[in-house]
Amino acid sequence: MTELIMQSLYSGLLQGGSYALIALGLALVFGAMKVINLAHGELVLLAAYIGYTVESKLGVNPLLAIPVAVVLVTLASAGIYLLVGRIKTNREINSLTLTYGVGVIITNLALLIWSADVRATSSSWMQEAFVVGPLYSMRSEVLFFGVSVVLIAGLWWWLSRSWYGRAVRAVSSNRDAAKLMGINPGFTELVSFIVAGIMAAFAGVALFSYGVITPSFGGVLTVKAFIITVLAGIGSIPGVLIGAILLGIVEALTVTLASSALQELAGMGLFLLVLFVMPNGLFGAARRRG
Amino acid sequence: MNKARMIAVAAVVASAAAAMGAARADELLVGVEIPLTGPLARVGMGTQEGIRVAADVFNKTNGKHTIKLVTVDDESAPAKAVAAVEKLASQNVVAITGGYGSNNIAPAADAAGKLDLVYVSSGGVDDSLVNGGRKNFFRINNTAGYQKALVGLLGDLNVKSVSIIHSTKEATQGLATAVQKTLGGKGVKIEMHAFDPAITDFKPIINKVKLRDRSEFIVMVGYENDYVGILRAARVLKPSVKGIAGVWSLATPKMAADFPDLMPNVYGTAVLPYPVAFSTPDGKAFADGYRKLYNKEPDYLGQFGYVQSMLLFEAIARAADKGTLKKGGVAEEMRKTDRQTLIGRVQFNANGDNPNFTQRMGQHQGKGVALVWPKESATAKPVYPGVPW
Repeated sequence: MTELIMQSLYSGLLQGGSYALIALGLALVFGAMKVINLAHGELVLLAAYIGYTVESKLGVNPLLAIPVAVVLVTLASAGIYLLVGRIKTNREINSLTLTYGVGVIITNLALLIWSADVRATSSSWMQEAFVVGPLYSMRSEVLFFGVSVVLIAGLWWWLSRSWYGRAVRAVSSNRDAAKLMGINPGFTELVSFIVAGIMAAFAGVALFSYGVITPSFGGVLTVKAFIITVLAGIGSIPGVLIGAILLGIVEALTVTLASSALQELAGMGLFLLVLFVMPNGLFGAARRRG
Repeated sequence: MNKARMIAVAAVVASAAAAMGAARADELLVGVEIPLTGPLARVGMGTQEGIRVAADVFNKTNGKHTIKLVTVDDESAPAKAVAAVEKLASQNVVAITGGYGSNNIAPAADAAGKLDLVYVSSGGVDDSLVNGGRKNFFRINNTAGYQKALVGLLGDLNVKSVSIIHSTKEATQGLATAVQKTLGGKGVKIEMHAFDPAITDFKPIINKVKLRDRSEFIVMVGYENDYVGILRAARVLKPSVKGIAGVWSLATPKMAADFPDLMPNVYGTAVLPYPVAFSTPDGKAFADGYRKLYNKEPDYLGQFGYVQSMLLFEAIARAADKGTLKKGGVAEEMRKTDRQTLIGRVQFNANGDNPNFTQRMGQHQGKGVALVWPKESATAKPVYPGVPW
């Protein structure tokens, strides 16, 4: 039993890293602009298909697709911002409809370009077992867990130390006051969408390297990313990693100790429980009044 | 122009008009309600390929009637499936072929029934589809056929303990439970592992199979993405089983080509071996038509789509000949169906089910798929014990 639980915790930890990578871009945009980008999962999926195209057409390791994915997905993300930026009233609500529509368009484009077939990496190196004592995983899972931690640390540093990062936080806190301080809110928001695009590019290539993709998978990714963002607390980047790992571990332990059929239910149960006890999420600051 | 000439010209014009009218009357509209987008897009598109080939072959071989397909995407959603059926009915189709996923097919078949349209499918194996009193619903495959094949193979391999890993979707749950009951009745030790269709990491389940179940054999009841996830997890954790089998969508040339590292020695239900060699005129017509239209080798989804549609087109043609198209003739003719097809003999019982449906078991061997069960259809011996890792 100990071995089972140990493996469960390990699998949950790695799965959490994967969830965190997927949620990072959505959390950033949500935290910075209060915009829920419902096309975020589709951006991740787009990057995954770029990984597939590079691997299948050029016969190289999908890791080499990251630069291409970063450029294309960032452009797509910036394009979404340009559309969202045109919304003049009720941006928080209207952007939901808009980004949902963009998600549908990306899904159908993926269907047209890559067909509905199931795709996954054929790289043996990525799929080979990585064994630490009694613990097993795929090499790609460990690799991208590390990437996830590095990106989260980098994003946290960027938000707290760099000028643009602080500008994003300032616009998020009070758009008008930030404007008075000489910050261009529109440009700052564009920067946050670009950074979110970069995160989605890494997440997509990671997903292709250890998972299975189909054009309809984007919606599932968005929902998972949204759960983690809310679980973490809006605006908390380290919270994304901790919330994602918590979710991954709860799901894996549910499979081991109860039934795999209850895995998703357990994740949603955790989400509701945290919101009930801590309405601002695990690491979210309480909103100021007035 | 003299009078006789005028009469001759009028006669020619009238007969030409009559001929055109007759041609129009012989062009029969058939609705195709199928998922082309959403989670079932892959299987829907595969089935649609077979439906199109059936229409092409029928139109070339039947000199009297022409089938024209009208397709509506049901977006893999039950409500959209009902809307698709209603839209097709408004376009005066005489019957509907298609459907995928029991939860989509049930409401779509109900809607077709209310509109007095025959609905034929190969995409739903849930038994409630044929036990719900639907008078105009027909299907060519069912859970029992897949179950017989799986249980038959495991019996021949003398397997004593099995871990069944299955999706909680209606059809997969039903098949897994049926296999559990039958094998359990034969004294085989069974461990069940139901999983939510949304999960992607199967390592915790495979680890339970490895450390707790210690079964001889793994049976997967799911879909392509589930199989890939399970096989990848098994490749990492290497449980000491002697074999691994799945059902539909697994022993296919596509899986062999797309996932060459994961497939060796994996069993799955199959109709034909691969590379495929059709010996009957019907099979050759299908394979030639398929290759011509799609420039690839036919797969099992195409075969099922072809068979269900060809049987429907033949029934429609017979009803049209008897003048009973609008009087329930299509359903009546479907019930009279009894012929050998690419998937074996097809008849429909009072519920619209095909009691003769039996699958075979294939195994990925080399770069192809060999039939290994039943013995009389086998093209090779099973590699056992044998796993992909």
